[in-house]
Amino acid sequence: MFSTSDTIVAIATPAGHGGIGIVRLSGPAAVETAARMTGRRRPFTPREATLAMVRDRTEVTRPIIDQVIVTWFQAPASYTGEDVVEMGAHGSPIVLRQIVARAMEEGARLAEPGEFTLRAYLNGRIDLVQAEAVADLIDAVTPLQARAAADQLDGTLTTAIGGIDAALFDLAARLEASLDFPDEGFHFIAQETAAADLDTIGARLDALVRDGRRGRMIREGATVVIAGRPNAGKSSLFNALAGADRAIVSRVPGTTRDVLTERVDLDGVPVTLVDTAGLRQAEGEVEAEGVSRARKAIEVARLVLVVVDGSVPLAAEDREGIAWTGSKRLVAISKSDLPAAWAGPDDAVVGADAVRVSAQTGDGLALLRAAIVSALTGEGPRADTPAMSNVRHVALADEARASVQRAQAALVSGATEELVLAELTAARSALEAIVGRRAPDDLLHHIFGRFCIGK
Amino acid sequence: MESFDVIVIGAGHAGCEAAWAAAQQGCSVGICTLGLETVALMPCNPAVGGTAKGHLVREIDALGGLMGRAIDATGIQFKLLNRSRGPAVWSPRAQADKRAYGAWVRSTLSSHPCIEWLIRRAGRVLVHQGRVRGLEFEDGSAVACRSLIVTTGTFLNGLVHVGDEQRPAGRADEPPSHHLAESLRSFGLTIGRLKTGTPPRLDRRSIDLSTFSESSGDTPIVPFSFATRSLVRDQVACHIVHTTPAVHDVVRRNIARSPLYNGQIRGIGPRYCPSLEDKVMRFADRERHQIFLEPEGRDVDEIYVNGLSMSLPRDVQEDVVHALPGLENARVLRHGYAVEYDFVQPTELEGSLEVRRVPGLFLAGQINGTSGYEEAAAQGLMAGLNAGRAVRGEPAVVLRREEAYIGVLVDDLITRGCLEPYRMFTSRAEHRLLLRIDNADLRLTPVARGVGLIDDERWEWFSERRERLERNRTTATSRSVVVDGERMSAAQALARPPVTIESIEAHGVMFEVDSLRGDVDRGTLLADFKYGGYLRRHEAQLARTRADEARRIPQDFTYAAVPGLSREVVERLSSVRPATIGQAARVPGVTPAAVAIVAARVARHA
Repeated sequence: MFSTSDTIVAIATPAGHGGIGIVRLSGPAAVETAARMTGRRRPFTPREATLAMVRDRTEVTRPIIDQVIVTWFQAPASYTGEDVVEMGAHGSPIVLRQIVARAMEEGARLAEPGEFTLRAYLNGRIDLVQAEAVADLIDAVTPLQARAAADQLDGTLTTAIGGIDAALFDLAARLEASLDFPDEGFHFIAQETAAADLDTIGARLDALVRDGRRGRMIREGATVVIAGRPNAGKSSLFNALAGADRAIVSRVPGTTRDVLTERVDLDGVPVTLVDTAGLRQAEGEVEAEGVSRARKAIEVARLVLVVVDGSVPLAAEDREGIAWTGSKRLVAISKSDLPAAWAGPDDAVVGADAVRVSAQTGDGLALLRAAIVSALTGEGPRADTPAMSNVRHVALADEARASVQRAQAALVSGATEELVLAELTAARSALEAIVGRRAPDDLLHHIFGRFCIGK
Repeated sequence: MESFDVIVIGAGHAGCEAAWAAAQQGCSVGICTLGLETVALMPCNPAVGGTAKGHLVREIDALGGLMGRAIDATGIQFKLLNRSRGPAVWSPRAQADKRAYGAWVRSTLSSHPCIEWLIRRAGRVLVHQGRVRGLEFEDGSAVACRSLIVTTGTFLNGLVHVGDEQRPAGRADEPPSHHLAESLRSFGLTIGRLKTGTPPRLDRRSIDLSTFSESSGDTPIVPFSFATRSLVRDQVACHIVHTTPAVHDVVRRNIARSPLYNGQIRGIGPRYCPSLEDKVMRFADRERHQIFLEPEGRDVDEIYVNGLSMSLPRDVQEDVVHALPGLENARVLRHGYAVEYDFVQPTELEGSLEVRRVPGLFLAGQINGTSGYEEAAAQGLMAGLNAGRAVRGEPAVVLRREEAYIGVLVDDLITRGCLEPYRMFTSRAEHRLLLRIDNADLRLTPVARGVGLIDDERWEWFSERRERLERNRTTATSRSVVVDGERMSAAQALARPPVTIESIEAHGVMFEVDSLRGDVDRGTLLADFKYGGYLRRHEAQLARTRADEARRIPQDFTYAAVPGLSREVVERLSSVRPATIGQAARVPGVTPAAVAIVAARVARHA
């Protein structure tokens, strides 16, 4: 269960690139932790923004991780009802993660999904209607569902971690069997096999953690903006890309009514899709604001997906948009289920790499996804292990890896199964916090399913 | 009407421990049984202990129970299992002389001034104003009591199967309890049905045992009981035989005649104790299975065929036995059988093993869905202890999961319920490194002393041992040795896997151990330093566990009134009624967030 008395930390802003990201700390030691992270001696003043530097502690030079704006919301007048410190940093996911990692070095615990809201509810700061995310957590029948509701782990990563978790579980079951059934007349696992299995598991965790750490920009969730004139089919395409058998990572209503973002996993690459207002000249004030935001979004985007309607002749606005977005654009010719009104990819302006697609029938969607991935990564669809983009998962995988390393060390030094298993149990517990808890009996079920045991 | 403080129905392993624990507290106890010849009977394998079960016996002993002393007094072969592994999983196991074991327990109980035998058939639980008041026998007579402990094993609506023969029986040919089953049902308790089985018994005189490979006991013997000063005994051997494809063929050809496979049996059996039918059908790729021939006693001709439990018809059982190499001419004295029986879903119980709906009524043993003599005895002891305390209006003793296997056992039962017969395994204990045979007394004897289960002599010996341990710990941290060319404290050296107490002593650092029971002193010292690093790293987690267990939920807490809990969670928590926040978190289907909400609510209303 959750402890409700310690200090928790997490990135509070949606995943992916943004201008600013916020790291939030909540709990009795929130202020003290922030002070240590920034090396600040003078106390913070409640509700006053303070400029500070978060520095790396591990390296001698203590390089600056980021310049942050620290704001202390004193208990009980805060979101959670506890002392809350928010650090506004530059939006790069790598930087935000490093800040979270610093907080953890200072003793904060990584928040479970929905835990800030849970604390707000427990402290009477919000009622349950407001805390719908928490309601989902409570109603979920299994922890796995709870996890899925709050965490929205993407499918491929679940498979990767699930694979490691399953290997670890099977190894633990065999070792357990050799302890609980020593006089069965056969060996459940040889010492060398256990060592080899553990090496493999350790290597897989290493790769996972390393990938997560390296955090190549693309894997942090590149932003792809969908642009085009009104009615070109942008929203349908947005929904098709977000919905079509892809895991939705998080749903974040845009800051204005005109920008909607969705985190999706395209063939293993996490992508933040941004649906924008049209790019034509604005008539009303509100719309002008929307267009201006759309143009800003395009400026920071890694890729612009320009949608042009294939069922009506190409308009001047379309050509303008294509020309304006320059080298980081990909053209999608929408409504391919309707009769084509012009040459499509043969048109010189659009270019031969344009993809014909129909959000209606799903035709060409797979091709479009692959084209987006290829444009982002400069390579084909990724088949290898996807990277962890969620800081919580990185921390848990790291914890699992540390336990596995201790288990390996124990095994090498000649420690017996019960001690190796004590470490493996900790590793399993960390992985299960990602992929879902097993029931206590599952281990015995696994043993009895595999081996004929008992007299 | 005759009156007792505590009445125990049944004199199996649960009933005997229950009676003893209640009587040791000074309660007057009546034990109701069908006959004195079946007291502490072993109707299945003639053995006590084994992995995790041996731990339970040590804990029973540390709490002042009978089982450890009984098997030390009457065992005919002793082994310490998992000797090649660490001290946390060392587990004693012994072959029993069934008759001698039963006689020892019977005479020990009989000699207790507070215990009286009631050789009658129990009928109906007498309840007045919602509380247990007494017991009515089938003959219409009745006795009054303040606490009633039911330990009826497989007798509740027992049904024995041998092939297509079916007869109502609790054990072999003993009649089952229908009236008592009816009486328990009338309280509205959730009742389920389980199955277990036993193998055929062979006549030793018809077998040439010299043709089999032998399995013999350890010398010196590691006793079960802390009170046993020394144990030197002539030990008997067991013998090993393996099944063959011919044996498997006999089973396969006749599988339709097995009540397990033709739908005649519906109760759920234990998977860790598969019938021969299951071994052959479910693990068809296994070429052979190991079978032990175990004597049922020193001067007894009956041989127990461990691993050959089955409910096939009598003629097929004989064919199976005769197909085993070396048993071609073996005479079957008794056939194997399966028995189906009623059990009470243990989520109906409090941690004290008292039935929540019927104050004064306690249940222990197989009636709670468990399997095994040791599991039964452990529950019996706790039920007897708490029934006695209830008589005097004292609070129940509930052991915690990080304190004892008995704590794990009771908590699993009352929190998770049973879907199949429950057997203890070391893997069920998440604090396995803490729950060892060497420290069972350190963990539990002070608890038992506080509630009157430990006599002065035993306490004195225990206190000396505890002081000796402290001195040894000081020696280990203050004296240094050279290992692999490195100078370090004896404690640091012991943390290295291959280093043992003996190898430290070879360096001249001597520890002070009991002249006869050095095994206990050395075991604790070894475990202290082998596991010390790990245990220190997990101290924070353990502290959290203890804190959660200390946060009590009021018994009248209304889950339905907590906003935000789903109906399923409310139903589960309302039916289990966890006593603590820690227990609530272990109730199946209850999410961490739900527990946090309950915890906050409890704290607010405290």
